[in-house]
Amino acid sequence: MIAQQLVNGLMLGAVYVLVAVSFTLTIGILNFLNFSIPGLFMAGGMVSFVLLRAGLHWSLAILGAVAAAVVVALAVERLSYRLSRAREAEVPLVSSLGFLVLLENLALVTVGSDQQAFPPLVPDFNLRLGGLVIGGAQLVSLVAALALVAGMSLVLTRTSLGRQIRSIAENRETAVILGIDVGRLVPCVFALSAAFTALGGVLFALNYLQVSPFMGEGVGFKGVAAMILGGMGSVWGAVAGGLLIGLTEVLSIGYLGADVVNVTVYGLLLAVLILRPQGLFGRPPAREKL
Amino acid sequence: MSGYQSGLLVILCFNVIAAYAVYLPLAAGQLNLGVAGFMAVGAYGAAILTNEMGWPLVAAVPAGGLAAGLVALVVAVPILRTQGIYLALATFALGQVIAAIFLNLDIVGGAAGYPVAAYAGPGGVYALTGAVVAAVFLLSRTRFALYLTAIKSDPVVTDLMGIDVRGMQVAALTLGAVIAGLGGGLYGHHFSFVEAQHFNVALSIYTVLYVLLGGVQTVWGPLVGAVFFTVLPEVLRVGGGWRYVLFALLIIGFMALRPQGIVTAGSWRRRSPAPARVPASLPEAAE
Amino acid sequence: MTTPALALDSLSQSFGGLQVLTDLSLSVPAGRATALIGPNGAGKTTVFNVVSGVYAPTAGRVLLHGRDITAMPSRRRIRHGLARSFQNVRLMDHLSVVENLIVGQHATTRGLSDLLTPFRLWPEHRWRRQAVDALAEVGLSAHADAAVGALPYGIRKRIDLVRATLAGASLLMLDEPAAGLNPTEMNALRDHLALLRRRGVTLLVVEHDMRFVGEVCDWVVALDFGQKITEGPLAEVQRDERVRAAYLGQAA
Repeated sequence: MIAQQLVNGLMLGAVYVLVAVSFTLTIGILNFLNFSIPGLFMAGGMVSFVLLRAGLHWSLAILGAVAAAVVVALAVERLSYRLSRAREAEVPLVSSLGFLVLLENLALVTVGSDQQAFPPLVPDFNLRLGGLVIGGAQLVSLVAALALVAGMSLVLTRTSLGRQIRSIAENRETAVILGIDVGRLVPCVFALSAAFTALGGVLFALNYLQVSPFMGEGVGFKGVAAMILGGMGSVWGAVAGGLLIGLTEVLSIGYLGADVVNVTVYGLLLAVLILRPQGLFGRPPAREKL
Repeated sequence: MSGYQSGLLVILCFNVIAAYAVYLPLAAGQLNLGVAGFMAVGAYGAAILTNEMGWPLVAAVPAGGLAAGLVALVVAVPILRTQGIYLALATFALGQVIAAIFLNLDIVGGAAGYPVAAYAGPGGVYALTGAVVAAVFLLSRTRFALYLTAIKSDPVVTDLMGIDVRGMQVAALTLGAVIAGLGGGLYGHHFSFVEAQHFNVALSIYTVLYVLLGGVQTVWGPLVGAVFFTVLPEVLRVGGGWRYVLFALLIIGFMALRPQGIVTAGSWRRRSPAPARVPASLPEAAE
Repeated sequence: MTTPALALDSLSQSFGGLQVLTDLSLSVPAGRATALIGPNGAGKTTVFNVVSGVYAPTAGRVLLHGRDITAMPSRRRIRHGLARSFQNVRLMDHLSVVENLIVGQHATTRGLSDLLTPFRLWPEHRWRRQAVDALAEVGLSAHADAAVGALPYGIRKRIDLVRATLAGASLLMLDEPAAGLNPTEMNALRDHLALLRRRGVTLLVVEHDMRFVGEVCDWVVALDFGQKITEGPLAEVQRDERVRAAYLGQAA
């Protein structure tokens, strides 16, 4: 029984992993808490749903969803992130929130507020290992999520693009002095983060076979929690955080009841913030230099 | 005044109260993304006192405010060890936890909600709003308010000036929570019902949104932001189903064009004789 | 011998593996102007940061008028007469000039009632008047209500100086006060510092402009690699072989 719960938790966590990685990219590299991410997550599920309904092949539908999210993310970069130079540090955050409201309401006028049934793309098979039952869609999600993160990690550590991105995270001024074209890299980070989020939305739709205009909020905010838990800016921290949040959620539903999920998940987040703000795998914040 | 108008005015009042709850810590650069949680503490606290303990309204609502302040005080000290975005996320998590706890508390009806017997009419709502605005305005004329802005600008220098930065931040967050709790307490008694689902993330986040829309440089910004946020969707009703799409586009466009908010310190200063502007003779010197 | 305004006793400071100050002892006599010179990276600003309490030293003591303040929280030090300016002027951009100065008065106020008096309801409240008077004294009153960011660098530097003195500091530490100033601004700064010295304020100045050091300071302490290499009147220190070597070493 508990083994089955653990498996379910990991499967759910896989979706959080993708969202947490998206958050960690923009916050770790650009120090920007991008509140449009829950909207991009929804857009991933919703656009692929609409395209599938229009009769497109599933691969084109997913591609279309990712492309749509990337386009929106580039608009967020242009219209929200570039406000970072405003006197009030919170302005970009609020502006990105405007995009969340925009996306949710665009979906609302397009498909209405009801849950929409998402077609089952993964054949409905169950893998049985001993006493464990693993759904096909769940397995696909977990494998896809981990493969995506591993790919991202490779890009960040092995390619020149990745090294340049990490040098911005390390110290923006130094990166500029070293001749790195920050203005060109920042949109890349946004696009990468949007692609991850949108794929997360697609995987969520595959698993739960439904989409709705507000599907991004719960998952998106748990993605933030996962990112903090693992340590802001750390990709593998986001993976650990996402899986941990998934496990916490499934175990609290199983043993304490569905209603207490927010108490345990966000209680855990609050405890980590108070006791170890840098997260489980993050570095402690540096002291301000005079 | 029609029922529609007075209904809208009451909603405006609750939005104004929430705006000032967010404004006080934000003046010191602390983003409170969990103001709905403090409102929930006030709402449930005051409702329990009138429903179960037979307290009069005039005592129960302030007690709800104090309860919210107490919760803020208890968590502020450890939370304020963290800075910037961590603090914002800690208040966010706190708001979620508080709402979820009330959702599971059977003595206040859990998810079914909690009916409140005592009733506060629109007059009470207007009175409390007036009192909150007056109090925050007076506060904005004090050294305390000046220190909050100083902390936002440069906490290290503010500390070296001898100011207890941490103490001021705790005070701002706590005072904001008291205001939120007062608003929540009256909210339950005006609508005769409290449900945890109302005090959700969206409420917290929207409040921050319209405070920044109004601008935090002066004490009037939050008021203007709340009016804007309450009235604009009504005006946009002509857009039918698209009204919130238009609303979101307005927010994005507005922030891009005027990131300092609607009301700025300059919009007041311009009325007094402008000081002579001296052209900058030197750019910022390098070290 | 009278108690020095400031004494550092075997002060050491390291960050990670990097030793920035090593067993540094020096004293700043009361009522005088002392300069701290040395090549970049000699540890001058670190001395200021340790004395003002921004960093806790790895070893050693800091004595202010004979009192050990090593463990005192940074914010309490201004009430004991210690104030400083910053290498890059750090005025609060969200506040006007006069508001910056009123924040600077904090150490002269007492308790909750001062904190919560809505004094800005009265346009001529004494706190504002004191701040404007302090500006007038050095010829800056025209800028009282200006936004800080709109002012020229030289003016901002001197407003920083006025702010640092408003709490009635007896020891003022100035980090490169002359850097980036034009000759007119430099003259104004000299007059300003002369005024402070007439009031008996002790000065400790980090400065690279040796002519300025010669005009303002009567004692010079030279640092290199976090250690004191010599001290004395400027002419003497400038002739010292070790000082010349330190600066040449930097140029090489």
